[in-house]
Amino acid sequence: MGVSTVTARTSVPVWDEQPGRRSVPLAQVLVYELRVRDAMSKPPVTAAPQDSLRSIQHLMKAHKFSGVPIVEGDRLVGLVSIEDIINALDRGHINEPAERHMTRNVVTLRDHYSLLRAVAEFERHGFGRFPVLDAGDRLVGMITRGDITTCLMHHLEKRAEEAIAHEAALVAARVADEKAERVVIRAPVRTGDYDSAGKVSQRMRQVLRERGIDPEVRRRAAVVAYEAETNIIIHSLGGEIVVTIDPDKVVIEANDVGPGIENIELAMQEGWSTAGRLPRELGFGAGMGLPNIKRCSDRLEIQSDSEHGTRLRAEIFLKRAGGAE
Amino acid sequence: MSQATMFALKPVLGALQATPLTDALPETVSGCYISDLLSDVLAHARPGVLWVTVQIHRNVVSVAAMKDIAAVLFTCGRKPDATIVAEAEEGIALLSTPLTSYEAAGRLWEAGLR
Ligand SMILES: Nc1ncnc2c1ncn2[C@@H]1O[C@H](COP(=O)(O)OP(=O)(O)OP(=O)(O)O)[C@@H](O)[C@H]1O
Ligand SMILES: [Mg+2]
Repeated sequence: MGVSTVTARTSVPVWDEQPGRRSVPLAQVLVYELRVRDAMSKPPVTAAPQDSLRSIQHLMKAHKFSGVPIVEGDRLVGLVSIEDIINALDRGHINEPAERHMTRNVVTLRDHYSLLRAVAEFERHGFGRFPVLDAGDRLVGMITRGDITTCLMHHLEKRAEEAIAHEAALVAARVADEKAERVVIRAPVRTGDYDSAGKVSQRMRQVLRERGIDPEVRRRAAVVAYEAETNIIIHSLGGEIVVTIDPDKVVIEANDVGPGIENIELAMQEGWSTAGRLPRELGFGAGMGLPNIKRCSDRLEIQSDSEHGTRLRAEIFLKRAGGAE
Repeated sequence: MSQATMFALKPVLGALQATPLTDALPETVSGCYISDLLSDVLAHARPGVLWVTVQIHRNVVSVAAMKDIAAVLFTCGRKPDATIVAEAEEGIALLSTPLTSYEAAGRLWEAGLR
């Protein structure tokens, strides 16, 4: 009695902030997590040692690069930067092959380096770009500061979208929880008030429908509530019906003030009825109400005596439409 | 559970001499149940059926709503009060015929609602 339901509200912070654990900005996490291979541009646009600086200048212009790696096969042998081209134009050797003027001791990055390390390398050397080598010393890409920024932005955006989706899912779950909270419908039932029969049952069906309860289960609950209610109207001196809807079950209680059922065993038999002329004219009195209640409920208790009246308590276990509990 | 074959209601209204009391009529019904005992209907009527009865009390509409019955045909020319018709839950059609329940059943059977 008087038990109130408390719906658990789960709240998962987007960024974990457990006590004793320093919270780190997301960008910083990404800088650790992401590798050079995630940010680099690949495959690299390359030139051969014999190519003229002029042709490399055109390559740079076409691709908006500030440096072109020079390769023999997949081996990096040098780098021609925009500065090398400016010098070549200045000094008049723009038509000479790259191998004569390219930078030979090129500083490279490994593709498995973290972006954090890459950023540090950019700072240390002041270069605008690095060729990227894999574990087998093959040239696999080029990386610029811009590539790192773009990569970080892209992943930040992705994480933000995931966080938003996660939040939305939490909100949706919370709404579903709130909907699933206990609903109690309580109504007095008066002797001979045939016109009001079914009101409680109707309200209950509405709640069950909103909750997406299986229609067959909903109909069973409706039958129990209606039959219990009409028995109070027809056979008792008045009472009350209380329907308690929880996420997993409906409890229907029908209590009246008497005169009680003389012989419950007999009353439970199909076709046994003491209904008078008026209820029979209205379609009651088949003696099928209690058997219907029994068949439609998952659990049923009936107590009755002339002193306390009749107390009926039926439970119907709920399942959602579509089978799953 | 396999879906019962659906039976088109409108084509048999003439044979039933039925007058619709509500605006909307279901296109089809899943079957028919005839009884004047409410508990019997609560026990045996299947959802989506046409219920044929002489009872016109408000409880008929309540019972129909609880069992997801598609339409109720009142026989012997009986018609419930306008207030009851107005209260009929959305989706439940009410009709009336001067035929007896037996005659109505015969016409429905002949029309192929078996
Ligand atoms: N709340 C009650 N108080 C006193 N007697 C009751 C009560 N409920 C049921 N009974 C007795 O039990 C009998 C059987 O009840 P049951 O609901 O099965 O049939 P009914 O109400 O007579 O007819 P039906 O429900 O088919 O319209 C009733 O006729 C009545 O004698
Ligand atoms: Mg009864």
